[in-house]
Amino acid sequence: MNRLQANLCLICVTMCWSTEVIIFACIPDSVLPFATTFICNAIASVILAACFFKRIGNELRRSKKKLILRCLVLGALNCTYNTLYLYGLNYFDVSSGAFTFSMTVVVLPVVLFTLRKKVKVRTWVSVALVLLGIVSALGENVANINPTGLFLMFMGCLVRAVFIVKLNDFAHEHDSVTLSTFISIFVSVFSFIIWFVLQPSTFSAIPWSGTIVASLFIYAYFIVAFAQTLNIFAQRRATATEATIIYALEIVFSLIWGAVLPETLIERTIPTAFQIIGALLIVAGSVIEIVDFKGKRRLVNGAENR
Amino acid sequence: MALKTANIPKPVKLCALMVILVLVYLVIAIPFKVMSVIPGFTDIRPVMLLKPVFGIFFGIPGCLAFAIGNLIGDIMSDSLRWSSIAGFAANFLGPFVFYAFWRWISKEPFSLRTGKSLLKLTAVVIVSSVIEALIITPAVKLIYPDIDFGLFALMVMINGTVFPLFLGIPLMILMQEELHMKPICHKNNVDR
Repeated sequence: MNRLQANLCLICVTMCWSTEVIIFACIPDSVLPFATTFICNAIASVILAACFFKRIGNELRRSKKKLILRCLVLGALNCTYNTLYLYGLNYFDVSSGAFTFSMTVVVLPVVLFTLRKKVKVRTWVSVALVLLGIVSALGENVANINPTGLFLMFMGCLVRAVFIVKLNDFAHEHDSVTLSTFISIFVSVFSFIIWFVLQPSTFSAIPWSGTIVASLFIYAYFIVAFAQTLNIFAQRRATATEATIIYALEIVFSLIWGAVLPETLIERTIPTAFQIIGALLIVAGSVIEIVDFKGKRRLVNGAENR
Repeated sequence: MALKTANIPKPVKLCALMVILVLVYLVIAIPFKVMSVIPGFTDIRPVMLLKPVFGIFFGIPGCLAFAIGNLIGDIMSDSLRWSSIAGFAANFLGPFVFYAFWRWISKEPFSLRTGKSLLKLTAVVIVSSVIEALIITPAVKLIYPDIDFGLFALMVMINGTVFPLFLGIPLMILMQEELHMKPICHKNNVDR
């Protein structure tokens, strides 16, 4: 996979993640997010293990203890930032929360800087544009942001940034499918524990229907099994910063779905002028980071990027 | 345990491959039947991402599996109509366009490593969607005159273009570059 392909894959991953809203709309609010996370990750890990059992076996023979320990850490980080986002989003309306969610892109270079990793000037420019986009999209809501909500979201973004940096490091050392499978296993285990604490009746509390089962399966194989695995493969070729800046496009995709998809699938929302400007700035930030303006040949020539 | 497939006759292998591909198609297609845009006629169909994948990586068995999968999907979701015959033909030809292009027309083997190769695939995706829309839409209009011809054709085109481009391309990159699967459509790989 060359750099162009890796970036395309990351855009696809971001697009898949942005459809979460559509899939979750089919699941009643009474189903706890931890239940959804547990079920989807459990299904995804079974699918991945069934399809790639030989590959996973080989990787486990190579480095069992180290791999499992690393996946445990990644699983814990994943659960932590999702939980922080979940509670943080309670303090925001949908669109403000979604834009705040993109703050990881601002936090990540700071994390890299702290870890004494090099951050290019171009990256800082991209980050500044994305930050400007987020602030622009929040518009007049900036003044009314709840500090507790902002703190929770900030902590979520911080943990997510560490997760992305670590995932990027581990993706270079381990087999991507095996990493994805074990991350799903640990995320499902952690989610189940939280679900059990919050709702001891677990499975019997879910109002099972064909729609819920279908939505959970769609989420499991598209967003967890496919997108997560593709993300790890792409991260082997892309840097953590590139990945995070492309992830910021999630909000742009969400805005497009809200404006374009029919009412039967999603609640139609017409973006405000501030949100459109914000989205354009985020796109501009991503383009600056992923397009190699100096070396056009390098972008399209796979052999040089291997 | 490694499966020993050397002694299995080729027709049996091809049938087994087709059954597996049909199952993959159904696993992806059936849950999306809950998302209906024009109830009974067409849906949001991410399963269309498999159209280039089946044609390019699995050849004729892939094309047949795609058509059979669509037919079984129609039966299972209670939307089997006379127009399903046109649907079968269109869903065979959809992936076949990819197979035919890289088997007989393209001088270069299938690859998605450059901007040019991506543009080439995009053009084939559009051609394939137009062919599908041209087959399915008149058949549906003939049987159900109340259907909005333009909207229906547009939905077929969107499904046939958006998903192969946005989901199919990354999946094929993954299959070719990382899982090292060989596209069957190229002359050199046909008799593997």
